[in-house]
Amino acid sequence: MLHYLEEELEKLKEKIIKMGSLVEEQIDNSFKALFEGDLDLAQKVISRDDEVDKFDVKIDKHCQRIFALTQPVAFDLRLIMSSLMINSDLERMGDISVNIAERVKVLLGQGELLRKMIVDDMSVKVKKIVKMSIDCFVNGDAELAKSIINFDEEIDRLDRKIFDLLTEEMRSNSDLIVPCCHILALVRNIERLSDHATNIAEDVIFLIDAKMVKHSKDPENLKPKE
Amino acid sequence: MLMSDKKIITKNLDLYYSDNQALKNVSIEINEKKITALIGPSGCGKSTFLRTLNRLNDTIDNVRIEGEVKIDGVDIYDKRVDVVSLRRRVGMIFQKSNPFPKSIYENIVYGPRINGITGKKELDEIVEKNCIRAAIWDEVKDRLKESAMGLSGGQQQRVCIARALAVDPEILLMDEPASALDPISTAKIEELMFDLKKDLTIVIVTHNMQQAARVSDRCAFFLTGEIIEYNQTSKMFTKPEKEETQNYISGRFG
Repeated sequence: MLHYLEEELEKLKEKIIKMGSLVEEQIDNSFKALFEGDLDLAQKVISRDDEVDKFDVKIDKHCQRIFALTQPVAFDLRLIMSSLMINSDLERMGDISVNIAERVKVLLGQGELLRKMIVDDMSVKVKKIVKMSIDCFVNGDAELAKSIINFDEEIDRLDRKIFDLLTEEMRSNSDLIVPCCHILALVRNIERLSDHATNIAEDVIFLIDAKMVKHSKDPENLKPKE
Repeated sequence: MLMSDKKIITKNLDLYYSDNQALKNVSIEINEKKITALIGPSGCGKSTFLRTLNRLNDTIDNVRIEGEVKIDGVDIYDKRVDVVSLRRRVGMIFQKSNPFPKSIYENIVYGPRINGITGKKELDEIVEKNCIRAAIWDEVKDRLKESAMGLSGGQQQRVCIARALAVDPEILLMDEPASALDPISTAKIEELMFDLKKDLTIVIVTHNMQQAARVSDRCAFFLTGEIIEYNQTSKMFTKPEKEETQNYISGRFG
């Protein structure tokens, strides 16, 4: 029984890691398509979402099976609960990469405006936080997870800065209102990626430290361990 | 929590079978009208501990006990304590149901009769009341004069519970009461435990982790005669404090 449980948990972890790299690739490709104006790559991202969705269902079913057959407790229970939550966040991140890919067409030829609005800077930071969130799950690193939650605030500040840049641009040049509105919506999506990465970090803290930090404003929870 | 909520308190309890120490420095406070589960691998001392609570170990030769066991603040190992009256207050249910080879009715009135109750009406009432409390009334009310030995295992166990309840104990000790029963009989015993804890303090030894998780309010994990962890059951099964607890409850050893 024990051997079975350990094997199943290991398989589940592997699946989450695979789902994580699949979604990370989708995000990277959607940004690449956006900044290089590559419609083929954007289409590839859109088509591949089906693969992400199928993986999502596969992981949910696996968790259900472990719950039903092994009645997990303590760390094992938290691993399955956090896998379910992380899986759901990854699936949403996959959807967002599709949203980004879908916007490539309307923003074709706006590479300069995107750079002026520092969207490329934001994308670099978001890719980093997404990678960190997957890494902290893979390595069971609660300290890295705590640093992600603080990093998300930096991305939120960047988001507000881009908002100001966009409104200023629209005020000074009304011809740019339409592309700026698209960028506004795009940036909202990119910011959501960071929020999902933060959720994953919170789930890893739950997994490792057995602390529920989501919706918690208590800074004590995010202090590094002595 | 107020002191009065603690029904049983043991302090630095050591128990030896000859030279072999079976309990080591066990200190625990058991809450009144709650279910406390004792878990741990075979030979860890949980049943031995349970039996110290109604001095059942007194019947075994070469047992030596040091430390304190207090019920309602009174040391039950004090010379002035009457063991028969203690065991009336602290009832016990064993793993294997052990009805007397008598009728169902006679099983249940056995204790009350010893305590001097002889009136038929009163005894009838005791039988009905305690069969209802033990969730067996509907199944036996038309066959009270039949032998208890003819009942199924699950029914026999509930008759034993009715028999234990008939002398109005304050504490019920249960040593793996459902381990020989099928899931439906087990569920009945567990449900009746929930009903009983409105009036009684229950201490249960169980090897079934899911049962401990389902029925108990607090849980004590024993290992080689010591309590490794004593905690709220909900905490024990989600966030145990000790690694040994985590390993045991998840089936990694024991």
